[in-house]
Amino acid sequence: MLHNRKQRDYLDPHVLSRLAGLSLFARRPMQGNVSGKHRSPNRGASVEFAQYRKYVPGDDLRRLDWRTYGRTDRYYVKEFEADTNLRCCFVLDTSGSMNYRSQQWSKLDYAKRLVGTLAYLAAEQGDAVGISCVADGIRGALPPRRNPSHLRQLFEILDTTLCQGGTQLVPILHELAETTAQRALIILVSDLFVPPEELRSCFQHLRFRKHDLAIFHLLDPQEIRFQFQRPTRFLDLEGGNPIFVEPSEIADRYHRALEEYSESLQRVVLETAVDYTRVSSDQDYEQVLIEFLTRRMRGRGG
Amino acid sequence: MSFLQPWLLLALPLIALPIIIHLINQRRFQTVSWGAMMFLLAANRMSRGYARLRQWLILFFRTLVIAGLIFAIARPLASGWLGGLAGRSAQTAIVLLDRSPSMQQRGEGTPVSKLETGRAQFTAALQTLGTEQIVLLDGRTLEPHLLQRGESIADHLASQPMDDRSDIPALLLEGLQYVEKNQLGQADIWLCSDLRSGDWQADDGRWQTIREAYRRFENRVRFHLLAYPQGAKDNLTIEVLDARRTSVGSEAEVLLSFRLVGQRETSERREIPLEIEIAGTPSQTTVEMSGPELEVRDYRIPIAASMAQGWGRIAIPADANQADNEVFFVFQQPPPRRTVIFCEDRPLADALRLAAGIAPASDLQVEAQIVTAEALETVPWEEIALLLWQGPLPKGDLLAQIERMVGRGGCVMFFPPTSLPGTSDRGAVEEEAFGVRWASPTELAGEVQIDSWRSDADLLSQTQSGQALPVGTLKVRALVSFEGPSTPLATVAGGGVVLARVPTTAGAVYFWGTSPTPAASTLASDGVVFYVALQRALAQASESLGSARMVEAGSPTAQKMMVAGANGWEKIRGRQQTSEGDRQVATTAGVYRLGDKWAAINRPPAEDLPEVLDDATLDRLFQGLPLDRVDGQAGNLAALVQEIWRAFLLAMMASMVIEAALSLPQRTTALQVDARRPAS
Repeated sequence: MLHNRKQRDYLDPHVLSRLAGLSLFARRPMQGNVSGKHRSPNRGASVEFAQYRKYVPGDDLRRLDWRTYGRTDRYYVKEFEADTNLRCCFVLDTSGSMNYRSQQWSKLDYAKRLVGTLAYLAAEQGDAVGISCVADGIRGALPPRRNPSHLRQLFEILDTTLCQGGTQLVPILHELAETTAQRALIILVSDLFVPPEELRSCFQHLRFRKHDLAIFHLLDPQEIRFQFQRPTRFLDLEGGNPIFVEPSEIADRYHRALEEYSESLQRVVLETAVDYTRVSSDQDYEQVLIEFLTRRMRGRGG
Repeated sequence: MSFLQPWLLLALPLIALPIIIHLINQRRFQTVSWGAMMFLLAANRMSRGYARLRQWLILFFRTLVIAGLIFAIARPLASGWLGGLAGRSAQTAIVLLDRSPSMQQRGEGTPVSKLETGRAQFTAALQTLGTEQIVLLDGRTLEPHLLQRGESIADHLASQPMDDRSDIPALLLEGLQYVEKNQLGQADIWLCSDLRSGDWQADDGRWQTIREAYRRFENRVRFHLLAYPQGAKDNLTIEVLDARRTSVGSEAEVLLSFRLVGQRETSERREIPLEIEIAGTPSQTTVEMSGPELEVRDYRIPIAASMAQGWGRIAIPADANQADNEVFFVFQQPPPRRTVIFCEDRPLADALRLAAGIAPASDLQVEAQIVTAEALETVPWEEIALLLWQGPLPKGDLLAQIERMVGRGGCVMFFPPTSLPGTSDRGAVEEEAFGVRWASPTELAGEVQIDSWRSDADLLSQTQSGQALPVGTLKVRALVSFEGPSTPLATVAGGGVVLARVPTTAGAVYFWGTSPTPAASTLASDGVVFYVALQRALAQASESLGSARMVEAGSPTAQKMMVAGANGWEKIRGRQQTSEGDRQVATTAGVYRLGDKWAAINRPPAEDLPEVLDDATLDRLFQGLPLDRVDGQAGNLAALVQEIWRAFLLAMMASMVIEAALSLPQRTTALQVDARRPAS
């Protein structure tokens, strides 16, 4: 399907082929413009029964269920689910903090793998994919389209994106909530170094706009464990003031702060019904995606 | 705290090592580009109280680990009294043991005596300190004994108990001599004593010498005193006051006077069983005692009439101190009390003969003989108890003979001559006897009374019933003064000496400043005082005439006996616990015989006195000298000096464990990152 010869290290054909059997589903009805795999808020013609509805004038008489009329002497219209495609919009955090790495891949490298693979899968199943790279502003954006050439453009953006600047995630998410057409699948890949309470309003805004929000919360293992032996001067990747600390002295407080943040974030995502996945960048991203996709399939089935 | 290897303490600055490493580590920081600054900032805002404290604690325990290690290898000693002993264990230790009978007192509930405890503690302490040279000073012979390596103090003959009192000043002087003679750079003097005043003789002039001599060594000679001042509550002592044989018709008996003294003030009546042994034949009797003291006079013990002299032993049941529970005695028919009177003045000679010739008891044989100047040469001095001399002082051979008599135990009384013989240019009489010479008549304003006299001891002391002699009623009309070393026993107002005693090693020499003539005094007309004084002197002197004598262990008399008899004294009876090798007559209690002479050696009565030196006196005695004192208890064999490096090692290990526990990373609350966890 891909026609370019450029080798992209965040796309692994083996992984793509192994994940090809899995579909990316939305958890709520999506509004697409063509037929697809996803439920639509509109009723249409399909084999999957949806509901009986009382006939109202103006309804197509062909949809009248005569059998029911025969049994009950009342007019009912039989409705079926309509399947459609979705608009999948990736929001990739490219702030300076995403550039941190304590091992092979930085968080951005890892994020590219997640985004690239999911974008490929979505495009493969006929969904429209777009991307917004955000830092202290929207650094690069591509609206959702469903043609393969569009996917290539998305990969181009991934290729060229760099981490720099601070994080202005909250206003950007509000902006995206408004600018993205309703009922889209928004996949946010970020380290979320923002106070969780500030994120709550963003998530609620996105939910209000009937978007299905999925978050990959990326953390480096060193950011979780905070294991430094020597006194260390920490330079802020996002341009803030450096801090000099004795790691052994501050480690427990760091862990406490991380724990409090995590609990708070957990509370926010639960309350805003966000599909939240915390990922350590030393995890196998294929496994992470399998879990993600499988979970969403189950969600759809339920 | 003291150490066996104190030079290792020079490594103590190493305890700063963890702090230095910490500071160096602070300077060797790394720089890391970091994303999750919000957590770091949040952590910085949190209270850092415990974390900071933890850092300090870790540093502290690291310091403690090094300190513990250094202290442990410096071999610390647990002892409250060896403050300055650090690093001096390789020096000479001079051990001075108080071996007097009072040191055989046992502690409560233990069969171990003070002496045994002290020996054991010294042995253990010196072994711990690794002292190379241990010198044991024999309190009896004052000879130093160098102990071989591994030889225990307790096994040495010079550390066995003795019945003599300990002469602590003499021991210290001997120790001083040893230090000087061997030119010891440093020495520790280890002294073990129960601090009995009698042994320490705090008023002795030698202490001044001791202090001054030892001060010359500054701190190179240190004193370690192991004291056992605690007395026994229920200890009872027995002392024989007198034992003499007497004949009643055809039968004979021994009249034994003895005294029991308890250490406790009590009015409780108690029965004391007594074991009395006469020439090997034991018998039992009981006396009742209701106070702290009981004195029995002339307790009659029948003996065979044929026994002219013999020996005996009286003992009380075992108590805290076994050494003061038995006394040996010898008895005989009292020898005739012979007095020789030499007088220029014939009436005075008659008066003196009258006073000396009347026996105070019916069974006593008393003889008084007036001799002329010519007959003096034929007097058998070895049989004479008392010499009364009125006239120019003797000189030449005669004086030498009289001195021998006094040296044997005899007594001499000098009265003023009728006329003072030739005086020298300076106005003093030239002849002198026993260091004293007549000076000049003292002018008296008519009759004067005796103003003061010694009523506590010697010739004019109170009677046994406690009544004072009527010395104050005597009147003196003429007085002659004398010069020389003497102790006044009676003086008139204004300081004129009526009676004085000249100090001698044995026997007694008295000088009267007046005579019993009516012109000189009322000594003869109010004759009670003079008669009593004369008879007391006679009784005292006649003891030296008998062939059976009771002497105090270690006294000059006993020493002289030992010298005179060499090793010929045969031990008839002695204390069981006296060691086999200890056969020294002078200092070992028992009954001894040499030909027809008998001697009973007993501990000095002063040993029974419970008085001990108070702290102030002890401080005064050792003023300016480095003294460490520890008070022990008989039977308490806890080591004086104990190596406690194990404790430091344990402390070090404990510090290591605590340090490790503190250094452990806090139980991480890092997030559980699990991709499978559903968001909702």
